[in-house]
Amino acid sequence: MKYTAALAVVIVAGLSGAAFAEPSVEILDQAGAILEVDQPVERIASVYGLGTYYLYALGVSDRLVGAGYVGVKSVAQASETMRRLEPRLEELFLFGDPNVEEILRRDPQLVLADGSRHAAFSAQMNDLGIPTIQYLVESSDALLEAMRMTGLALGPDALDRAEAFVREFERIRTTIAEAVARLDEADCVRVLFLGTAPLQAATGEMFQTELIEAAGGRSVSAGLIGYWSEVNLEQILLWNPDVIVIPPYGPVQPADLLEDPDWASIGAVQVGRVHRMPRLMAPMDTPVPESLLGILWLSSVFYPDLVSLDLRAEADRFYERFYGLTLTEQELDRLTAR
Amino acid sequence: MIDRRGRSAWMLLFVVPVLFLVALLIGRFGLRIGDAFRALFGVGEVDDVVRALVLRVRLPRALAAVCIGANLAVVGAAFQGLFRNPLVDSRILGVSSGAAFGAALALLLSAGTFGLQASAFLFALVAVGFVLLIGLRFGTAPLILVVGGILVSAFFNALLGLVKYVADPLSSLPAITYWLLGGLSDARWATVLPLLGITVAGLAFFLAIRWRLNVLTLGENEAASLGVRVSGLRTAVLCVGTLMIASSVAVGGIIGWIGLVVPHLARAWVGPDHGRLLPTALGLGAVTLLILDGVARTALPSEIPLGVLTGLFGAPAFLLLLLRFLRSRGETR
Repeated sequence: MKYTAALAVVIVAGLSGAAFAEPSVEILDQAGAILEVDQPVERIASVYGLGTYYLYALGVSDRLVGAGYVGVKSVAQASETMRRLEPRLEELFLFGDPNVEEILRRDPQLVLADGSRHAAFSAQMNDLGIPTIQYLVESSDALLEAMRMTGLALGPDALDRAEAFVREFERIRTTIAEAVARLDEADCVRVLFLGTAPLQAATGEMFQTELIEAAGGRSVSAGLIGYWSEVNLEQILLWNPDVIVIPPYGPVQPADLLEDPDWASIGAVQVGRVHRMPRLMAPMDTPVPESLLGILWLSSVFYPDLVSLDLRAEADRFYERFYGLTLTEQELDRLTAR
Repeated sequence: MIDRRGRSAWMLLFVVPVLFLVALLIGRFGLRIGDAFRALFGVGEVDDVVRALVLRVRLPRALAAVCIGANLAVVGAAFQGLFRNPLVDSRILGVSSGAAFGAALALLLSAGTFGLQASAFLFALVAVGFVLLIGLRFGTAPLILVVGGILVSAFFNALLGLVKYVADPLSSLPAITYWLLGGLSDARWATVLPLLGITVAGLAFFLAIRWRLNVLTLGENEAASLGVRVSGLRTAVLCVGTLMIASSVAVGGIIGWIGLVVPHLARAWVGPDHGRLLPTALGLGAVTLLILDGVARTALPSEIPLGVLTGLFGAPAFLLLLLRFLRSRGETR
């Protein structure tokens, strides 16, 4: 993976100067496949529910002919903000495992797929002559690489926006890192990031743990491996976290823990520091562009007065600039709620 | 010889409370033994965390382990006799397939812990209800019930597959997968108390009729000639057993092997007479699950799925029993 990432960057760097004079660009995707993408790409299908948001951030969503959206199981379930982002949602919406013929019917020139789940599908699409990019995004560096790679495949304007996004991400990440670097280790909050059940914890291999560290927290469950890990209440008592974060999906609400006598002796519950991450569209704890707001939100929860960045102003700016959306006051309220 | 074995098997029922106490003392959170006892019996000064840990975390969980282990083993032993088939376990009538679908559906709909366990319990009963309806129509002969169980299981497995297919891979799918592997981390008082009630009543029923179960193993005609109303007793055993298993699966998820292997271990120990077999299976089942759950919650910072541990224990244990059986047959030949 490391090797692939490095190689992709080399190719991106090598081609970004001259590529667009050529009728096609060559990219190395995150699964290690070399793809030839004819330019310009006018029709894109995304069966990678996270990658769909990359296309919005790059300003090419008008080229979509079909798309899955992370965490959205039906059009009826889509938020009002999402319908504003994509008026064509009904027409584009895809859900579940991709169906090769359905994708072919939509006649895309480029397909975005999930490298961890769609390997067979991608091979089939590539055989049919439709370049299919596989993404393996499990860290913020991989997210930045994925944005650049997508921009490269979609032309100079998209690549410019990818670079702008990378700069924005780095600015926020660096500002927070500098602020939290001043903390003593003893003052760093110890955080438990729960899953969709109260007894599920984010492991050290997950994106959520990286976000916590980037926001200056220490994940108590960083030593666990794999995907969401089942833990028991005894282990949580032993960790005794200062802050508990609930992801922006799933049924768990802060009140469930705050009012549960079984949780009453845990430090975070005693001081009321149990927070559910807000959500407008894609969940901010997944590797999507708005994960940079996820880091900022986490840091504002961990250290309310430490970081100089204003979450509300940054969120307003981010959605305007990258998604072309002017958020309402209510949406900003929701996004900045703790 | 048999009598000494019988007595030693009854002794097992005293091992259960001892292991139960040990289960309250061990865990990842280091506790002084004195503190644990003070918390347990409500005497002296104890830290709130320690009291919560012993009374709200470990106690309901250990109770759930005892109840589920005893239920799976006793009902497994009774069903093996009733169906006159040594490969039957307590889930033969489609209980777990129904429960699995019910739980998955609740997880898909984000119904919360109580809703999950209620839904699992309900669909377990629905599944067995279908099998009994088939029995009502075509007769309750063991073969009919086994076939009915296979059909209903297949049907609910298909529904489970459908739920998994539409489940969100980010949230509900991992939760469904974990639930299917079994575990007691969700054992809380609110759900353990109903389980405890059903278990006590069910075990009392089985212990009361345990001698009469011997008659069922004889087969229809012999039993009738002894003046026992076979179909009434069989229906009662099936219904009570189903309630016990459904409540166990609702709390603990799919925990395999206990209902198959423990009855055989018990039979190897005290022989096939249900008078001795059921109490032995009860004790062995409770002890086995207490020990395995102790490992599941203590060995690693994350939970080890209990179904994985029972499989790791159950399959080799079954193989050993099989070897013993084959060897004994070789000797007598």
